[in-house]
Amino acid sequence: MTTSRRKPAETRLRVVNLYSPEDARGVRIAPVKTFLKSLLPAISVRVRPSITRGMLGERLERLATAFAAARVKDPSKHVQTFEPMYGEVDYEMRAISGRAVVGGVVYDGRKVESVCLDLLRDENSLKECSVVFTHRLLSTFSEDDLRHHLRTIVCGFPSLISIPGIVEAPAKPREYYIMKQQLESAAAGELERARLKSMFKERFIDYDDPSAIEVLKGLALQAVVFHLTLRPFCDDPKCRLYNAHWQEELIRTQINSGKLCAVHASIVKRLGADPRLAW
Amino acid sequence: MPIFDKSSESSVTRAILSQFAKDMEEFAETDVIIIGGGPSGLMAAHDLAKKKVKVLIVERNNYLGGGFWIGGFLMNTLTIRAPAQKVLDELDIAYKQYEKGLYITPGPLACSKLIAAACEAGASILNMAMFDDLVLREKNRVAGAVINWTPVSLLPRQISCVDPVALESKLVIDATGHDASVVRKLEERGLIKTPGFGAMWVEKSEDAVVEHSGFAHPGLIVIGMAVSTTFGLPRMGPTFGSMLLSGRRGAEVAYDYLKKKAR
Repeated sequence: MTTSRRKPAETRLRVVNLYSPEDARGVRIAPVKTFLKSLLPAISVRVRPSITRGMLGERLERLATAFAAARVKDPSKHVQTFEPMYGEVDYEMRAISGRAVVGGVVYDGRKVESVCLDLLRDENSLKECSVVFTHRLLSTFSEDDLRHHLRTIVCGFPSLISIPGIVEAPAKPREYYIMKQQLESAAAGELERARLKSMFKERFIDYDDPSAIEVLKGLALQAVVFHLTLRPFCDDPKCRLYNAHWQEELIRTQINSGKLCAVHASIVKRLGADPRLAW
Repeated sequence: MPIFDKSSESSVTRAILSQFAKDMEEFAETDVIIIGGGPSGLMAAHDLAKKKVKVLIVERNNYLGGGFWIGGFLMNTLTIRAPAQKVLDELDIAYKQYEKGLYITPGPLACSKLIAAACEAGASILNMAMFDDLVLREKNRVAGAVINWTPVSLLPRQISCVDPVALESKLVIDATGHDASVVRKLEERGLIKTPGFGAMWVEKSEDAVVEHSGFAHPGLIVIGMAVSTTFGLPRMGPTFGSMLLSGRRGAEVAYDYLKKKAR
């Protein structure tokens, strides 16, 4: 007996679904849609409501339990399967239903991806690329140094983009941390911390920074390129697909340069006209 | 002519005893027991008492206010970030704007006014009394606190020989700061497992403390820095605005619960 399986290469990407974050909190996804549309004319791009919207009753409790179980409790260990605390589930239920603000907790990106995949289930055909924007902080465990690292993007099916990750994941300038440590050892207060931040103002992206939208555009493009090629990143630090580990790199590639390298410009142009999965 | 009216030693003793006995009889069964009289506990007590909820603060020290008397580096200027200055307005606590979104107020003024506001709203206070254990009911729901005098609790059991007393309540609020003493007691009994402090330092941890203020276990609400310990949130410096707002959030959660229960 023979079985016929469609190769991914024969599949064309038709739609990119941009799932809005849990609450608006100053973030607009519409400019990301316009940006993707300009680069990928053959693909339809849709902005959709939050992936967790409209959960009630048992579904809400199940989802809240799954998010609570995805929390990173020890950055030096893989997230183990554990029964979440009553209070963690209670918080997640309030957060999902809009009665508490999401933030300040780190979640395992792969576990959250799996939670989102369950929610999408019927909509996760390879013809559709799902990109979930979230206010949750996401990390993945690195086998290189055996610890979790915060991420701006977790590429997968769906891909996840962490909005606070833009601020927290790429490292700030080294001098900032040295000075911050000195302040903390002197038990400095909020005033000193605020002053320190203003000293490094142009060198990292802070919360509520309007330029973060440019970073979101670049990250969304990485997510779509991942869907199409499984290779979302570029080694060229001037390319918008560069996986920045430092804030200054992020600012340079996404805001100051804002361009793709020649190789990726040509790849994206080709995929934009003929969005065939090239795995 | 003497300044003060005449009174006997026995009258003074009787006055203390009779009022205290009356208070203790009241405390034996309340709506909410708050363990810890720092800024979050006082704020929660204030808000609940204003809504006519019967609330008792159990404070292990003689003084109330916890760390609210003193700001960073032992300097008694408190910094409050917007929107928590609205609480200062409400309690008629004078403050100045330091810069956009950041306000300063003298610790002694803010702390004494917060204590007064909680007392005037109708909160009862039992100071020099220490949380010893929990009262548990069906399915390990928290239904009160076992307490003892602080000097007695601090002595070895073989010397003190004073059994504690149990107070019943519909809810208990853990406002014991980083110690999270009430949550720890549940942990000792194997009823909860806390992750401790989160090792990843992230900004906005203040927001997370406020947002996580709420139930940690059936019958038990956590507020203030106890929230950080309970949920493994990043440790914070002296950020008093979040303590006030966490107390307020805890009071809201408690009030909603009591209201639903009363229906």
